[in-house]
Amino acid sequence: MPLVIFIDDSETALASTRMVTASMPIEVKQYTEAQVALAEIKGGMTPDLIITDLNMPVMNGFEFLKALRDVPSTKRTPTLMLTTEAKAELKQQGKALGLTGWIVKPFNPQQLKQAITRVLRLPA
Amino acid sequence: MIMLNSIDELLVHIKDVQQDVMELSSDSLLKMSAFMEKNSLEIDEEIATALQYQDIITQQLHATNEAIESMHKSIELFEEAYKEDEGLAAQSMVELQERLTQILAEARDKKSRFSGKHAPEHADEEIEFF
Repeated sequence: MPLVIFIDDSETALASTRMVTASMPIEVKQYTEAQVALAEIKGGMTPDLIITDLNMPVMNGFEFLKALRDVPSTKRTPTLMLTTEAKAELKQQGKALGLTGWIVKPFNPQQLKQAITRVLRLPA
Repeated sequence: MIMLNSIDELLVHIKDVQQDVMELSSDSLLKMSAFMEKNSLEIDEEIATALQYQDIITQQLHATNEAIESMHKSIELFEEAYKEDEGLAAQSMVELQERLTQILAEARDKKSRFSGKHAPEHADEEIEFF
């Protein structure tokens, strides 16, 4: 099963994504700290899709994305930003860093499922 | 000065209350989501939105607490200057006012930024692919 990792410092946000994706044919791993996820990626974890928050302490979503692109195995791993931020300039910044897409919270469960299905090319 | 101290103490109290509110609201929704997961209950749009509002609440309160902390530090700096040299007080008061205005502007900007689709101008945001 494809591995999808979620990174969000909010445990309730992680709980909602966990419940929404429970019925999907994917393996889910969740992290409250981007630097921990990054360390596991550098240690050999190869996610098929990464969904990350933007505003987090220690390492924010953009810092994580930059570091992610420096790791050969995740240079092109699809990555979605899931955040309360909706400013066009931030979306542009994310796009320039190789982001796949942008989701504004609160997300619609059906739309999140569709986005994961689309990016991973799962059977609809 | 006494009035400034009182305002500072009130702000610090508000910060403490907000910290408790953040922790309680998070704990409350985590208990609810744990119950739902344990009973394999399906999450619909309304529940997903309710759970995510907690995240918005936390970010909003955290940003306000950051503003209060900055204001508290600025007030402390002013008080130090005032104690050392009353002649500096007038200049320090101007600087304090400018700093507080800046902190307030930053806090207001964060309120707007951290509202997500709860903000009317972003209510119709769809998932955007690049």
